[in-house]
Amino acid sequence: MSTTVPPPPKKVNRIGLEVLNYKGSKTTLCAGCGHNSISERIVECFYELGVEPWTIAKFSGIGCSSKSPAYFLGRSHGFNGVHGRMPAIATGALLANRTLLGVGVTGDGDTASIGIGQFIHMVRRNMPLIYVIENNGVYGLTKGQFSATADLGSTLKTGTVNDLPPFDCCALALRWGATFVARSFSGDKKQLQAIIKTAIAHNGLSVIDVISPCVTFNDHQGSTKSYSYMKEHESMLHELDFVPYYEDIAVEIPEGEVREVEMHDGSHLRIRKLHRDYDPTNRLAAATLLEEADARGEVLTGVLYVNTSKPTFLEQLDLVDQPIATLPESKTRPSRAVLDQVMEELR
Amino acid sequence: MEHTFAVSIGGAAGQGVATPGNIFARIFARRGLHLNAYNAYQSIIRGGHTFLTIRTGPERVNSFGDRIDLLIPLNQDTMDRHLGLLGPGAAVVYNGDTVKPGAPADGVQLCPLPVSQLTKNSRNKVEQNTLAVGAGLSMMGIGFQPLAEVLTHQFKKKGEAVVAENIEVARSAYDYASSHFQPFARPLPMTDSRKAVLTGNMALAMGGAAAGVKFYCAYPMSPSTGVLHWMATHARKAGIMVRQVEDEIGVVNMAIGAAHAGVRAMCATSGGGFALMTEGLGMAAMIETPVVVIDVQRAGPSTGVPTKTEQGDLWQMLGAGHGDYPRIIVAPTSVLDCFKVIPEIHNLADRFQCPGIVLTDLLLSEGTSSVDSADLDFDVEIDRGDLITSASSNGTNGYKRYLFTESGVSPRAIPGVPGHNHTVATDEHMEDGVLISDEFTNPIKRRAMMEKRQRKTAGIEAAVAPPALIGPADADVTLIGWGSTAGVIEEAREILTEEGITANQLQIRWIVPLHGDAIVEILKRSHRTILIENNYSGQFARYLRSETSFVPDGYIRKYDGEPFMPHHIVDAVREQLAGQITMSVPMHEITV
Ligand SMILES: Cc1ncc(C[n+]2csc(CCOP(=O)(O)OP(=O)(O)O)c2C)c(N)n1
Ligand code: SF4
Ligand SMILES: [Mg+2]
Repeated sequence: MSTTVPPPPKKVNRIGLEVLNYKGSKTTLCAGCGHNSISERIVECFYELGVEPWTIAKFSGIGCSSKSPAYFLGRSHGFNGVHGRMPAIATGALLANRTLLGVGVTGDGDTASIGIGQFIHMVRRNMPLIYVIENNGVYGLTKGQFSATADLGSTLKTGTVNDLPPFDCCALALRWGATFVARSFSGDKKQLQAIIKTAIAHNGLSVIDVISPCVTFNDHQGSTKSYSYMKEHESMLHELDFVPYYEDIAVEIPEGEVREVEMHDGSHLRIRKLHRDYDPTNRLAAATLLEEADARGEVLTGVLYVNTSKPTFLEQLDLVDQPIATLPESKTRPSRAVLDQVMEELR
Repeated sequence: MEHTFAVSIGGAAGQGVATPGNIFARIFARRGLHLNAYNAYQSIIRGGHTFLTIRTGPERVNSFGDRIDLLIPLNQDTMDRHLGLLGPGAAVVYNGDTVKPGAPADGVQLCPLPVSQLTKNSRNKVEQNTLAVGAGLSMMGIGFQPLAEVLTHQFKKKGEAVVAENIEVARSAYDYASSHFQPFARPLPMTDSRKAVLTGNMALAMGGAAAGVKFYCAYPMSPSTGVLHWMATHARKAGIMVRQVEDEIGVVNMAIGAAHAGVRAMCATSGGGFALMTEGLGMAAMIETPVVVIDVQRAGPSTGVPTKTEQGDLWQMLGAGHGDYPRIIVAPTSVLDCFKVIPEIHNLADRFQCPGIVLTDLLLSEGTSSVDSADLDFDVEIDRGDLITSASSNGTNGYKRYLFTESGVSPRAIPGVPGHNHTVATDEHMEDGVLISDEFTNPIKRRAMMEKRQRKTAGIEAAVAPPALIGPADADVTLIGWGSTAGVIEEAREILTEEGITANQLQIRWIVPLHGDAIVEILKRSHRTILIENNYSGQFARYLRSETSFVPDGYIRKYDGEPFMPHHIVDAVREQLAGQITMSVPMHEITV
């Protein structure tokens, strides 16, 4: 009789993959950097939902935040572009292959400073893409200068005062066409998970602005993107639960307490109302909420807006189902009939 | 080109110069005649002066030439500016009611049309143009039927009444000319091969279709916009994804994103837009994604002269982007070549996974030329290089995107292929692609990766044939040109030969790879070398010297915004051969 104990069965997700398949290489970011927590949430969400890693394409620009795709989804495809240009790169790639699940990770400098033009144009396109802004109010990688999301009057470690008002990427996204807009905090594991999972289920552009403190350059007194500032000023809109499509939602919920939004793939976002009467499908109301919170000096977090009916860029273009990137060579050129017509125009 | 005939039509922009131009072009091409057209215009949508010259003949027409046979001034301004260009045997056809001729040179025939009398039955206003076409064709000895056909084609969308009216006035002018004006000395012949007529920009776009381009994006910029127009017009039918993007930074990044995902992608711009693309181009080189960018040169610097031509962007292309990287640069030599070059450069960019640049200019891109339809080959070979688009297993098989190879080319898997996931990064990377720029403080790794990329240049050079000398081997002078000047230099050589000066020609099409050794081998046998280019500083001369130490004997340059005409080159060559001068900058006589 053998006395060896069989190893405990490995924990796998619903497609039989261990969490290892969703991890990346070891982070080289500073210990305590908010970006690391966001990477962990991304790993958990894709693992728990059982997304095939090789169908995911990660996109990023340049910055500490943009480096982070190396630290999650190591079995997915990755594209580290140039500073501020990820929106166009992702658009091109996803137009060429619509079957890829795009995940963009960027910083506040990458998006709101150098890349604001590309960002707004991407928002306008409502391209299906998860776009996570790791917002620390500074350029971490270049050693802590203010970015365009730094609050008016906030200070650098050196005491330098920021003299311009910030861009609110959520407000911009809301106004110009993103169909899923949320703000979160890297320190809020549960909320951020629910938001990322909902974004995975969403068909359209998801803009997620995550306050993600830079412990090295912007976590001091006078910063409005520090851990302590967030502890004091975060105002949660609601509590969120995400119920994936393959799970039973039969649990009865008392009318009025919970609002459910059905996502494109049949998943559900459950919003438990806290202290505010809130309709996540009302864009104007969301904009007003943001303005009001701003005036009160609060950082409002949660799902600000969901629109599950607006056509995406792909639908609007009436693109063929098969990715144009993998058409057989015989289909890459116009047909004989079209060419004949083209030649006729020239005579 | 023994027998050619040139018609020039001038007027204010918006006066409809294009329509008679198109009608002439169509009739010539349908008679199997070749043609070459150049439109000198100003950057004003309405009101600026436009001067279109169409030159035709039974043989290939290499330039718009030196001589105008028929001038059609649509307004007084054109008459005043350009009558002086006409010599003996030429004629000017104009509206005798509104335009007054000046004093023409001896032997120039004045042909006033009594327009109000000829159009008294019609209600349409723009017909003076159709009248002039009718009169002109009659004098060229071309029957009326072809004009009736073309007018029917041209106006059929506007209804039968408009067609009938146009044919009627054209007929009256045709008949009037037959009985009142002297026909031209040599009637235009016919050949039996109908030609296709297209601009360089159309040819570039069609070349894209032939190359299997599936993604085209652009931000409009003269003189490259014609490519976007063709693409946008034919997008649906031809199955090409065509997008107008917010700016050229977006354009190049989107094209690279698409190319990276596996399609053939292309974009076109002019110098200013190209400047915005350079960071992206370096990215394509670093991540080793093929992308083709067309730069249609116009007179710079800055926004410069948007409607004028120049060969002034060469060093911008050579130096585009920071750092060292393999690139391919080609300068097509004719409208037909604009078509041919696109599949060629896509094949090379795909094989060597690097950016490809096509360098044309306003002269070529907006110029019109006839082409034998059979030369537009849509079945050219497509070579995607070492491209992995599918895999059966999704195991981790150790795929390395930037595998060190002897050729420097590593098999390229597109995103989404199971078992071939990888990261591409603009930071320096290792064979597996992982972004670990910190590690590239390691000089051994950095050096190895740099050398891997640069090894591709040898392969690129071997894949492209060196340039060859055209014309007699033992000539008095060798004329060196690059890109769009091919046709005008060829014509200048013909004229020089008639005058007793033999000239051969070295026309450079591939800028990178240059094949410097082969060029020197050719040029060292020349008795005398003159380098001709359409810019101020001799950009190609400087490039040739930097690559080969070769210094030609003389230079002919032009930087007034207009292209060379054959006589500019002929006169300069004659002068340089006779005397001491080594630098000629010909004056352009036609001003708009
Ligand atoms: C065109 C260009 N300009 C400047 C830089 C230098 N640079 C690298 S990262 C960065 C700012 C990154 O800030 P952010 O996006 O907020 O990322 P973080 O490091 O804060 O996560 C800058 C300015 C660059 N890489 N490219
Ligand atoms: S510098 Fe700031 S943003 Fe960059 S890794 Fe360190 S903590 Fe994070
Ligand atoms: Mg930042």
